[in-house]
Amino acid sequence: MATTDNIHTLSVDASTEHLSEVRDFVATHARTVGLSDKDISEIRLAVDEAYTNIIKHAYKNTPSRPVRIELGFTNSQLWISIMDEGEGFKPEDYKAPNISKRIKNKQRGGMGVFLIQKLMDQVQYNQKGPYNEIRMVKNL
Amino acid sequence: MSYKISEKYNCVVIEFKGKIMGGPLAESFRDDLHKLIEAGKKEVIVDLGKVTFMNSSGLGLIIGGLTTMKNAGGDLKICQADKRIESLLMVTQLISVFDHYRTLDEAIKAYEE
Repeated sequence: MATTDNIHTLSVDASTEHLSEVRDFVATHARTVGLSDKDISEIRLAVDEAYTNIIKHAYKNTPSRPVRIELGFTNSQLWISIMDEGEGFKPEDYKAPNISKRIKNKQRGGMGVFLIQKLMDQVQYNQKGPYNEIRMVKNL
Repeated sequence: MSYKISEKYNCVVIEFKGKIMGGPLAESFRDDLHKLIEAGKKEVIVDLGKVTFMNSSGLGLIIGGLTTMKNAGGDLKICQADKRIESLLMVTQLISVFDHYRTLDEAIKAYEE
């Protein structure tokens, strides 16, 4: 069975001011397991999108609300869990965007979830008591 | 994020720098495109050579720019996207939507043809 050696944690307020800090936190730890630059860049972007969605949608841009980011490794995977206490995301209500239609109709938004799904190997949305969790996995 | 606008031959070159993530400069970018259209300058090249990061809001900004220019009878081509951004365009299937050129000169040449 795969084991988790270390779990790294970062707690920040939900604010775009912390975007760089959050991206750098995951990139720094992802680098230690020898992921390629491409993988690290994809993880940075997926985490940026997930954290931005929490700021915008879970907390509706209300500052000073907590977000906890956990990151760990198993023998074969890097996982990242981002938790908030805001309004939960309902994956069953989500429809993948039709890119050409969006361009034609000048529709905005909705691309973040699509990107996360494309960039990571597994994405799960969980409810843990009062917390919403998005758990993202990249295979090593 | 910042950008500067210049003209080269008959094209308008918009050179982005840093992180493209939407925000207040997205408004300013849209305004600038409309000013260019009013001035009859509709052949735009977005140079991504100095872009270090782009998220979905940044993609939205460039997509919005393309739509604005196309609706005005113009075009928006992109150039010098690095491997990370190119991979992002592939993942989002936007690679087939944008005319992407390796260099600025190639993008300019494409408008001359």
